[in-house]
Amino acid sequence: MIRSSLALIRGLWLSWLQYRSFFFILAFGWLIPPLIYLLVWSTAAGDQAIAGLTRGQFVAYYLVLILVNQATYAQTNWTVGDLIRYGQMNHILLRPIPPLSDALASEFAGKVVYLAFDLPLVALLALILRPELDFHINNGLAFIPALVLAWALRFFWGYWLALLAFWAARADALLALQDSLIFLLAGQVAPIALLPPAMQTLAKILPFRYMVAFPVEVLTGQVDPANLLPGFAIQAAWLAVAVLLSIVLWRSGLRRYTALGG
Amino acid sequence: MTQPIIQLQNLTKTYRVPVRPEGLAASVKSLLRPQYTQVTAVQDISFSITPGEIVGLIGPNGAGKTTTLKMLSGLLHPSSGTASVAGHIPWQRHPTYLRSISMVMGNKSQMLWDIPPMDSFRVLAEIYAVPPAEFQRTLDELIDLLEMQDLLTKPVRNLSLGERMKCELVASLLHRPAVLFLDEPTLGLDVSMQLRLRRFLAEYNRRSHVSIILTSHYMADVLALCPRVILIHHGKLLYDGALDGLAHRLSPFKMLRLTLRTETTALPPFPPGVEITETAPSALTLRVPRLDTPAITAHLLQTLPVADLTVEDPPIEAVIDQVYSEGAA
Repeated sequence: MIRSSLALIRGLWLSWLQYRSFFFILAFGWLIPPLIYLLVWSTAAGDQAIAGLTRGQFVAYYLVLILVNQATYAQTNWTVGDLIRYGQMNHILLRPIPPLSDALASEFAGKVVYLAFDLPLVALLALILRPELDFHINNGLAFIPALVLAWALRFFWGYWLALLAFWAARADALLALQDSLIFLLAGQVAPIALLPPAMQTLAKILPFRYMVAFPVEVLTGQVDPANLLPGFAIQAAWLAVAVLLSIVLWRSGLRRYTALGG
Repeated sequence: MTQPIIQLQNLTKTYRVPVRPEGLAASVKSLLRPQYTQVTAVQDISFSITPGEIVGLIGPNGAGKTTTLKMLSGLLHPSSGTASVAGHIPWQRHPTYLRSISMVMGNKSQMLWDIPPMDSFRVLAEIYAVPPAEFQRTLDELIDLLEMQDLLTKPVRNLSLGERMKCELVASLLHRPAVLFLDEPTLGLDVSMQLRLRRFLAEYNRRSHVSIILTSHYMADVLALCPRVILIHHGKLLYDGALDGLAHRLSPFKMLRLTLRTETTALPPFPPGVEITETAPSALTLRVPRLDTPAITAHLLQTLPVADLTVEDPPIEAVIDQVYSEGAA
C-alpha cells in the first residue's frame, strides 16, 4: 500500500514535470483571491483596527490563509468525477490496490508541488507587507492537527460530492458550489469575526469554516482557548460525516457502476 | 483432464436501459417518470477454459463479447449465473485475483501519457508488488520478444498506435498474470504490426502458459492464434469448438470447385438452390445447399465434362459474415 502509493506519487510527479507551467499557473490562480482580500482589508484597516484586527494582523491572517487554502485544496475531487464519467474507473478497479490510493497519491503529490511554489512567494510577501503575528507555541501545536483535519475534511467532503457522478452526469457543479461556500464562510472574503452575526453563527455550525479558516484562526490566535476544543469537536464530527458519506456512496456507487458497466 | 482455469455457468447479464422518446415534451415527461426496458447483453453462457489455452471470442458488434470480458475481469456484476477464474469469483475483485489477471483494451490505455513507458512500468511493478529482480527479468524478456528497446525512453504520447499497443502488452504482463483478457488488441493497427503482435502472443503463450481470451474483428487474428473459438451472437453462445468446425456447423452451404476437361461457354441449367460464385473458361465454383450436395454432385458429373471436383466448406470470413447478418442456420 505504502510502496504502491509512493510509486503513484512518483509517476504523477514525472508526468507533471512535463507541463510544470500549467501547475504554477493553477497555483498562482488560487493565490489571487486571498491576495486581493489581503490588500482590501489591510488598506481598509489603515492605522486603526477593524473588529480587533490591525493592518499587520490582517496581513498575517491572509498570508497564513494562502498557505492553508493551498494545503487543503482537494483538486483530486475534480478528477474523480471525470474518471467515473469517462469510464476510466475501469483501470483503477482492475488494480490490486485500494481505489482511494490513486486519489490520495495525487493529493500528496499535488500538495508538495503547490507548496514548493507558494512558500517562497508567501515568504517574499511577508518581507514586503510586514505581518504582525503574536506567535504562541500552544497555537503552533494546535495548528498542526487543525490543519490535518481541515485537509481531511475538505478532501472527503469534496470526495462524496464527486462520487455523486455515479448517479448524475454533472455532479461537479456541486464542487463549484462547495468552493463558493468556502469563499464566503471559510474566512476568505473576510475573517469570520467580521461577518454579520447571523452568518457568523452559520459559519460556525456548517463544515466550511473548518476546512480553511479554523486552522488559520488557531495559528493567528483568534480562537479563544475556551473555544478550541469545541472547535476541534465540530471539525472532527463533520469529518466523520464526510468519511461516512464517502464510504456509503462509494459502495453503492460501485454497485451501480458494476451493474451498468463503465 | 486438467482443471479449468476459467469456468462460466449460465452467465447472464441484463441491463436496464432508460427509454427516452424523442421531442422536448416527451423528454420532460420521462424526466418525471422514467421508462426502462430490459436489454439482455449476455444470456446463459457456459464454457470452460484450461490453463494455457488461447480462445477467440468472436461475434458482431454488440454481441456481448466485451460484456462477457468485463464480467470475467470483475468490472461487471452478472445478473445471474456463476463464474470462476483462477479460483476466484471475479466480481469480488479480491486483490489476489486482480494480481493474477490482466485486461488489455485496444481502445483504452493504462500507460501514463506524458512520460516514457519505462517510468509507467516501474509504477506498475510497485502496484503489483513485483520484486525488482523478477521485474527486470520479465521486462527484458518482453522487450526482447516485442523488439521495443528503443521505445522505452520516449514519452508515450509521441509513440505510434502500434508502439503504444506493444507498451500496453508489456504493462499487462509485467506481473505475469495467469489469465489475460484481450479486447480488440489489434484495433486500428497496420497489417505488419498485427502480424508481429500475433507472433508475440503465440510465442508468449507457448513460453508462459498464460490463458488468453481474445476478442477481435480481424479473422486473421483468430485464425493465427486461436485453435478454439467461441461465437456469441445476440448474447447467446452459438458455437464453441475448433475454428474449422465452425463452417461445418453453421453454414448451410458447401462450395463445389469444378475443373472441366473442355472449355464450356454454354452451361447447362443447374438444379434449384445452386449459385455460381465464380466462373473461368474451364473452371467453376458453385455454392450449393449442404444437404443437397451429394445429389447435385452426381447431377454435375453426369451433365458436365468434369476433370476434377472438390467439395469444401466456405471460407471462414463468408461464414462469419453470414452468421453476423442472418443469424445461424
